[in-house]
Amino acid sequence: MADGIEEAANSVSNLSVTDTPAAEAPSKNALKKELKKKKKEEENRLKEEEKKKKSQKPSSADDEDMDPTQYYENRLKVLASVKVAGGNPYPHKFQVSMTITEYIEKYRVLNEGDHLKDVEVNIAGRIMNKRTSSSKLFFYDLYGGGLKVQVMADARESDMDEIEFAKYHSGVKRGDIVGICGYPGKSKRGELSIFPKRFTVLSPCLHMMPRQKAGPGIENASVKKNEGKVASDVWVPGMTRNPETYILKDQETRYRQRYLDLMLNHEVRQIFKTRAKIINYIRDFLNKLDFLEVETPMMNMIAGGAAAKPFVTHHNELNMKLFMRIAPELYLKELVVGGLDRVYEIGKQFRNEGIDLTHNPEFTTCEFYMAFADYNDLMALTEEMLSGMVKSLTGGYKIKYHANGVDKDPIEIDFTPPFRRIDMIEGLETMANLSIPKDISSEAANKYLLDACVKFDVKCPPPQTTTRLLDKLVGHFLEETCVNPTFIINHPEIMSPLAKWHRSKPGLTERFELFINKHEVCNAYTELNDPVVQRQRFAEQLKDRQSGDDEAMALDETFCTALEYGLPPTGGWGLGVDRLAMLFTDSQNIKEVLLFPAMKPQDEPLTKG
Amino acid sequence: MDALRVWRASSHFIGFASRATCAAATSRANVSVRSRCCSSSSAASAAAAAELPSTTVAPANPGRRGRNSSSTSDRESIRAIRLKKVEELRSKGHEPYAYKWTRSHTACQLQDIYSQLANGEECKEDLVSIAGRIVARRAFGKLAFLTLRDDSGTIQLYCEKEILEDQFEQLKTFVDIGDIVGANGSIKKTEKGELSVCVKNFEILTKSLLPLPDKYHGLTDVDKRYRQRYVDMIANHEVADVFRIRAKIVSEIRKTMESLGFIEVETPVLQGAAGGAEARPFVTYHNSLGRNLYLRIATELHLKRMLVGGLEKVFEIGRIFRNEGISTRHNPEFTTIEMYEAYSDYQSMMNMAEEIVTQCALVVHGKLDIDYQGVQISLQRPWRRETMHNLVKEATGIDFDEFKNNLEAAKRVARGILGSRSENNDSHLVETCPSVGHVLNEIFETIVEPTLVQPTFVLDYPIEISPLAKPHRRQKGLTERFELYICGREIANAFSELTDPVDQRSRFEEQIKQHNDKRATLVSNSKYVEGEKEFDDYSYEVSLDEDFLTSLEYGMPPASGMGLGIDRLVMLLTNSASIRDVIAFPVLKIQH
Repeated sequence: MADGIEEAANSVSNLSVTDTPAAEAPSKNALKKELKKKKKEEENRLKEEEKKKKSQKPSSADDEDMDPTQYYENRLKVLASVKVAGGNPYPHKFQVSMTITEYIEKYRVLNEGDHLKDVEVNIAGRIMNKRTSSSKLFFYDLYGGGLKVQVMADARESDMDEIEFAKYHSGVKRGDIVGICGYPGKSKRGELSIFPKRFTVLSPCLHMMPRQKAGPGIENASVKKNEGKVASDVWVPGMTRNPETYILKDQETRYRQRYLDLMLNHEVRQIFKTRAKIINYIRDFLNKLDFLEVETPMMNMIAGGAAAKPFVTHHNELNMKLFMRIAPELYLKELVVGGLDRVYEIGKQFRNEGIDLTHNPEFTTCEFYMAFADYNDLMALTEEMLSGMVKSLTGGYKIKYHANGVDKDPIEIDFTPPFRRIDMIEGLETMANLSIPKDISSEAANKYLLDACVKFDVKCPPPQTTTRLLDKLVGHFLEETCVNPTFIINHPEIMSPLAKWHRSKPGLTERFELFINKHEVCNAYTELNDPVVQRQRFAEQLKDRQSGDDEAMALDETFCTALEYGLPPTGGWGLGVDRLAMLFTDSQNIKEVLLFPAMKPQDEPLTKG
Repeated sequence: MDALRVWRASSHFIGFASRATCAAATSRANVSVRSRCCSSSSAASAAAAAELPSTTVAPANPGRRGRNSSSTSDRESIRAIRLKKVEELRSKGHEPYAYKWTRSHTACQLQDIYSQLANGEECKEDLVSIAGRIVARRAFGKLAFLTLRDDSGTIQLYCEKEILEDQFEQLKTFVDIGDIVGANGSIKKTEKGELSVCVKNFEILTKSLLPLPDKYHGLTDVDKRYRQRYVDMIANHEVADVFRIRAKIVSEIRKTMESLGFIEVETPVLQGAAGGAEARPFVTYHNSLGRNLYLRIATELHLKRMLVGGLEKVFEIGRIFRNEGISTRHNPEFTTIEMYEAYSDYQSMMNMAEEIVTQCALVVHGKLDIDYQGVQISLQRPWRRETMHNLVKEATGIDFDEFKNNLEAAKRVARGILGSRSENNDSHLVETCPSVGHVLNEIFETIVEPTLVQPTFVLDYPIEISPLAKPHRRQKGLTERFELYICGREIANAFSELTDPVDQRSRFEEQIKQHNDKRATLVSNSKYVEGEKEFDDYSYEVSLDEDFLTSLEYGMPPASGMGLGIDRLVMLLTNSASIRDVIAFPVLKIQH
C-alpha cells in the first residue's frame, strides 16, 4: 500500500500539503469533484494513519483496543476523580451560537487557507473521530444534524498552556459531546474547520463507540463508500438503501439502541425525517380540505371497528376492563353523526398479534371520514394524495424499492395517477378461471371456494369460512399482481361488515383496498349507515365468531344507537402510515421505520460466539 | 287519559315524542305546527302508527328505565314509525340511506355570499346545493320552512308546494327533524329577512330513527352528554366548537415547534417498563411475546434517547396513560406535548412555555387577557417567576431552608400549618414524607397551588422529588426545574435534564426505595387493606430502566425538556370547567 509515500505528510497532518492551483477559478462542478476527490484521498490517508498507529503503538493513549468493560470502568474512574476534585463533568449549559448545519452553510464558501480570526462562534456536537498529530495538535470530526465539521485544536490558539492542553485533549474520547468556542477557517486542503480557543467536554461518552472493525479489505471498501455517501450524495426518499453497508450493521443493536444507530448510520436520521414528512403531508392535505383533526380514545370498553385481537388492560379504581383500540373507526363516525362533517385522526392502533416484517403490536394509521362523499370520491382523493406525496418527497412519481431483498436489483414503483382498478370477484374469476356462485354467503359458495383452494394449492388454515377462503384466493391471484398502486374494489358484504352494500351489484359492497408492492396500504368504503342493516351485519359476524373465527367483529351497541340518530352518507378511509414509510425509505422491515420497535425480551439465552 | 291514548295510537300526529303542549295545537290539521321532534300529519304514516298499538300504549321496556319508561316508549314508537317510513320510501324506489350528495356550498358560505341581499329579494339564477341535518321545521298547507344545519352553520329551506309539486307532500310526510337532507334550489331572502334556499328539489340522504333531544330542556343529563357526545353536539352546537378550538390549538403548537426547527417523532406506547414519571401504569399482556407490557406514563425517557442519538430538537404530541381516578382534571388517557432541546436549559424552556401558551391564546382569542370561569387571567409576558421556597415562605412565613435535613422539625411545623389552614385536616399527608423536600412539596401543593391563579413559574424544586432534573448550578439540594401554574393548575413541567448517568442511577434507586418503603409501610399498617385507595396507589412495581441509563452513558448533550398538558391548556382557552368537556369521549364509570 501507499504507506511509504504518505508517511511524511501524515506526520504533520493534512495542514502542510499545499497543492491547490489557486490562480484559476475552476467551474463549480469541477471544484466539487476536486473537493470530493481530495476528501476521499484525505480520508484514505487518515485511515491509513490510524491503522498504522494501531499497529505501531498498541499501547498508545488511543485506548480503542482496550476491553470494552475495562474502558468503561476507566472512564467512570476518571469521572469520579473529576467530581472529587470539585469539577462538574456535566456542565449545565453551553450557549451555542449556531448549529453545525448553519456553520457549514455560512462558511463553506471560504477559500482554502482562509482563517477568520476575528470571528468567534460557539458550536457543539459529538466527536466521531479523533486524530492525534502531536501533543500540541489534535484533529476531531465533530458531528451535528448529520453533518461534519473538522476541529483543529492547536495549542497555540488555545486559552490553555501547552501542558494543560496536552493533558486535557488526551482525556477527550471518541463519542464525547463537546462545545467549542473558536474561529472558522479552511485548511489548505479545503476542509472546512473550526479552530478552538476553548474546548469543553459537555457530556463524556463512557462506552467505547462501536466502530467498523478493521478487517479484510472488502469491508474497508464498503466503509469508504458509505462515508463518501454521507459527505456527498445524501440519501433522499425514493432512493434505495442498503443497511448491509452501514457502520453499525447488527440489527438487534440498531433497533434496541436506536440512538447508536442514529449516531453511527447517518442515513437513519433521514428515514425518520421522511416519516415525519409523510405525516405532515397527510395533515396538510386534509387540513386544506377543511378536515378537522380529532383525538378519540385509545382505551375502549369494546374493541371495535376492525377484526383483530385486542390488548386487554384493567382500570383499578373504576374496576373496569378496558381494551386498547384496534381502530378509531366507530368513534370517528360518531363524530360525523354529531355534525363534524370532515374529521380525521392520525394515531396509534394496537393489535395483540405476532411480530414480523410487516407487523408491530402498535402502529400508526390515519383515518378520515368525509360526509356526503362515496368511495369513488375517495379513490380520486387517494390518487391525488399519494401521487402528490411521492412528487413532493422525491420530485417524481417513481420510487425504487428492493422488493426482492437488498441483494437483488430494486424494482420501480410508479405512482402516476390514475391507479389500476380490479373488481375483486370478477378479477378473481378471470384470473383463476372460476365461476363463483352468485350468492356468496351460501353453503354452495363456501364449498366451491374450498374446492378452488384445494385445486390451486392455496392454503387456508381453519376455520375455513367463506371470508377467509376468499381472502386467501384474492391474496394468491390478485394481490400478487399489485406492484404499482392498484385498487381492489367491490368486496363481498360478508367480508366487509361496516361497508355499505353496492348500489348496483347485489351481495357486494362499495369498498376498495389499495395495494402497493403487494401489500395493503389503504382500506376505504362508502360507510354503512343503515342501522338496521348494520345490526344484521354484526349478527352475521357473531355467527362467524361462534364458528371459531375470533377475528370477527363484535357488536357495539353505542355505535348502532348513534347510527339511529342518522349518519350522513359518508366515505371513510384508513391508511397504514408505517407501510407507506417503508415504501418511501426502501425498508423491507417495519422495524426500520419505527424508532423503538417491539422486540423480544433480551433476557432470552443469547447465542454466545 | 284513555281517550288520549287511543287517539295517540291512531294518529302519529304528535310524533309520540312531542310533549303534551303540542297535542292541542297539532290536532287541527291546517294550523301551523312548530314542534321539534315530531312528524307531520299524513294518512300513510298514521296508518303506520296504527299498526303499532302495543308499543305506543304500553311502555316498551317496562322497568328498564323505571320512571322514565314513558319517554322510552316514546322513543321506541318513534323508531318504529320511522322504520316504517324507511320501508315505505324503499317501496317507492327511494333509498333512505343515500350514497352521495354533491354540495356546492356550506351554509356559512351562503350566509356570507348573500349577506347583502335585501328582504324579499331573490336570486333565481343562482342555483346552489347544500346538505345537512334538519333541526327545525314548520309546515303549513302549501308552505314549509325547514332549518338545515351543517358543519358550518344553519340556513333555512323555503319549500313551496307550487315549486315542489308532488315532492311537497313527500317532504311533509317523510322528513322528520333529525333527518339528513340534501337540497337544490335558488337563493332568496324572506320578507322577514331570513336567508333561504328556495328548494327546487330535495332528497332524504339519511333517515334518522331517534328523536333529537329538546333543545331547550335538552341534554341536561350531564352523564349522557359525555356518553353520547354526538347527541350533545347535535343539540348544542357550541360543544363542537370546543373540539374545533382544540384542533386549532394543537395545530398552532405544532406550527410553533416546527418553525423552531423541532422534529416530531413517535415513541412507543407499550413498554417493558413504565418510566419518566411517578404514576401507576396500566398493565397489559402481549400474547405472542408472552410478557406483560405497560402503557407509557410519559414520553420522556424515549425522547431523551433521541437526544443521545443526535436529534437535537425533538417533540412528540401523544397520548399518556395513568391508572388513576377520574375527576374534572383527570382522565386515564390524556394528551401531552413533550419537547427536548439540546444545549438549552430550563431558563430557555420558560420562554418556550410563554411562547407556546401566548401563541395559542392569540390564535383562539386574539388577545392575551382571557376569562376562565369568571376569573380574569392575564397572559401578558413576562410571567412571574418565583422559587418554591419563596412562595411557601410568602404564604406561611416558614423558611424551609432553615430545617436543613431535620425531617422531624419540618413535619412538626407542617402539621401545624396544615391542621390550622385547611378545612379537612390534611396534616396526615406529611406523615409518610421521607424527606424535607417532600414535606415542602406537600405544603406547596396544599397551601400555595390553589393561589397561583395568574401564570406563575414555580422554580427550583427539591432534588428528592425531581429524579430526572439536573442539580441546581448554585443551590445545593435543589434542581433546575420549574412548573407552570395557571388558575391553580399545573400546565407544564420542565427541567434542565439530568445528563450524568451515575447521578441518574442513584436517583432512580432512591426513587424505587422510596416507593417500596411507602408500600411496605402501608402494607404493615393494619389500617390499610388491599383495595383501599392509598394502598392501591403504591401497590405497583417500579423498576429501573437500564436501557435508558446505558443511553446516558453514551453521552447526552446538556439539554432541557418540557412536558405540557394539552387538555388543560384547551380547558383554559375554551373556558371549560372539566377535562371531560375537552375530551370527545372521556372515560366514565360503568353505567348501572
